[in-house]
Amino acid sequence: MSLPQTRGRSVRRIALAALTVGATLLSVAGCASAGGSGSTSSGGKTEISLSLQNPDVKTADPATWAIVQAFEKANPDITVKVSGEAVAEHLQKLSIAAQSDTLPDIFWVYKSTAEQMQQAGKLLDLAPVLDDLELTEHFPKSTISGFSSGKVIYGVPYQGLLTGLWYNKKILADNGLEVPVTFDDLLNVAKTLSAKGIPTISNGANQSSFSVWSFLVDLDRFGYQDKVKGLLDGSEKYSNPDFLRLYQHIAELREAGAFPTNVSTQTYQQAVDQFTSGKAAMLDAGVWASSAIQESQVGPDAGFWIGPQFDDGVGEQNIVMNVASAPFAVSHKVGDDKTKLAAVKKFLAFYYGDEAQQLLVDNGQPPVTDYEPQLDAEKQSVLKAALDASTAPGVTSPESQPDLLVSTAVASAMYDSIYGVIQNQLSPQQAVDLVQKALDAE
Amino acid sequence: MIWVSSRWKILLMVAPAVVLFTMFVVYPVLYSVWFSFTKFQGFGTPEFIGFGNYAALGQDPFFWQALQNTVVILVVSLVLLIPLSFALALLLRRKIPGGGALRALVFGPAIIAPILAGLIWVFILDPKIGLINRLLAGIGVAPVQWIGGDTLTPYAISLVFIWSSIGFAMTIFYAGLQLLPGDVMEASALDGATGWQQLRFVTIPMMRETFAIVTVLLITNIFKIFELVYMLTGGGPVHRSETLVSYMYFVTFTNQQYGSGMAIAVIVTVLGAIVSAGYLALARRGRTA
Repeated sequence: MSLPQTRGRSVRRIALAALTVGATLLSVAGCASAGGSGSTSSGGKTEISLSLQNPDVKTADPATWAIVQAFEKANPDITVKVSGEAVAEHLQKLSIAAQSDTLPDIFWVYKSTAEQMQQAGKLLDLAPVLDDLELTEHFPKSTISGFSSGKVIYGVPYQGLLTGLWYNKKILADNGLEVPVTFDDLLNVAKTLSAKGIPTISNGANQSSFSVWSFLVDLDRFGYQDKVKGLLDGSEKYSNPDFLRLYQHIAELREAGAFPTNVSTQTYQQAVDQFTSGKAAMLDAGVWASSAIQESQVGPDAGFWIGPQFDDGVGEQNIVMNVASAPFAVSHKVGDDKTKLAAVKKFLAFYYGDEAQQLLVDNGQPPVTDYEPQLDAEKQSVLKAALDASTAPGVTSPESQPDLLVSTAVASAMYDSIYGVIQNQLSPQQAVDLVQKALDAE
Repeated sequence: MIWVSSRWKILLMVAPAVVLFTMFVVYPVLYSVWFSFTKFQGFGTPEFIGFGNYAALGQDPFFWQALQNTVVILVVSLVLLIPLSFALALLLRRKIPGGGALRALVFGPAIIAPILAGLIWVFILDPKIGLINRLLAGIGVAPVQWIGGDTLTPYAISLVFIWSSIGFAMTIFYAGLQLLPGDVMEASALDGATGWQQLRFVTIPMMRETFAIVTVLLITNIFKIFELVYMLTGGGPVHRSETLVSYMYFVTFTNQQYGSGMAIAVIVTVLGAIVSAGYLALARRGRTA
């Protein structure tokens, strides 16, 4: 091999290596610059992004999907790019996006996370937007105050959170039981059904530790709303005698055989299936389950119970959880782009307009504004049962669900504490201490 | 190879790999270590708190439970998996009818995604709907809480891990056995060594490197177990069946305590490295003894 040939080859190889390094760096630079999107898509339409907590929005959240479809039809110059992930992945993506300032235009987020994002200046103040659209007065006052920090409104309600216990009238009637009213009634139902191998309350803790909605309402029946401020500032303890009594009642239910024996390994969806296949007397859930129940074999026999009243409870007992769920928030960057801001305003105006609120109802969700929905009493009997229960004379609602008033870590501890007693892993005292420890760590 | 003889040219050639490795491995690892000393919710400015996250983990019973479960899975898996997979490799090395098909069958679970393996085993181990308890009920045995309880779950996870990894380990042993020099085996046979003596004094000593590779790979895989736990129990009941990685996921992404989660990640990395290095050191000492 001659020297000139070798040199020529070496030069080519060095050039190739340099090209490789250059290409690598360029691709990395390309990655770094990707992220934020302009306000117009390739078709000349304005594009807004909507990020949700469901991996398959079309199937898992048909109400929002229907609203988006109707909005795009009514606004052909605007495209809504819908994306979704499971809750943990969704929150993970939001954290990364918030850090790199590439948040989606509109997104679902936990209230506590939204508050942190608002403090970090990542969210658009929606107060002027809502005033401009004259929407503020259509929301319940508690919704606005719940999503406000001072004069700043950082969120708007995504959907309503109307929760309680769905029950199967036939199972109760077949066993000579009536719909319970008090906790003692419920305990009696649990003992009777347990003797026949029927779970009273279908729950599933596997991958869904948050599925304890009816017990969160019970916390309010032991004075949570009055105590929450003190819990957060340290002047009140979660391990107080009132909450301890509630956890003792949960233990009584467990001992009475109220829960499925595989509550630890069953998922929430399997709990729903257990109820809709007629194998459990009650389901701990909310209105989002109404469509599945309506379409199931138990649909004609399904009713909605707001939950037990406790003789030893604290304060109002005739309550139902009918509040705004975790909010929609809007990225602060939307405010920097007039075209996008106008599109987002149009979307919010549509979402909280009568047409979209009726779409919510048509897809098994209660309205989140003061809109009075049209219900088909036969085809939507399940949803109607929940709405009727929530508006029955004398029934009131707390301002917010207990877990939405605390940080994610404390909320997790609350779920763990309830499921810990249900699964006989924690004594009532250990359960309340677990939440107190999470509060102390804040 | 004159043109690669100079140092700067060598450096130039390895530069792309070094750049990529630094960007996608070294930097994220160091960044995670930094986060482990902070209070950070995923955005905004991390607040430096020194060893606060590590101290808090020391007081966290769920962390200790996750560590204990990981150790149980590590011990049970290594004690059972290595002898079993080696024995299988020895068995399948023999010329038996359908040996190839048997090897493929044993390797099968290794190509099933762990998330699917977990799902399959839920239907086998679930205390209420699981196959095993249904079979036991058929012979009048009371249902056993294989998963979802606070005693048997780590052992059940070990069992599923063994099921899904045995083919992988067996394949490495099988490849190692194929590489053993035939003349050595033949010489030992001529010297009158029995089958057991050949195994004890020739095969196993010559397979020492393979044993080391399999053990280290299994240790690192055990420290990464996540999907099996996620599918089988979701870490429950009340975190009783968490492993270190599944608990790290919970702390980081469910609780959004990134600093604390990264502290667990650092501990997992350090523990994995110590156990692997410790095993390699023991293996090396055995070789030189």
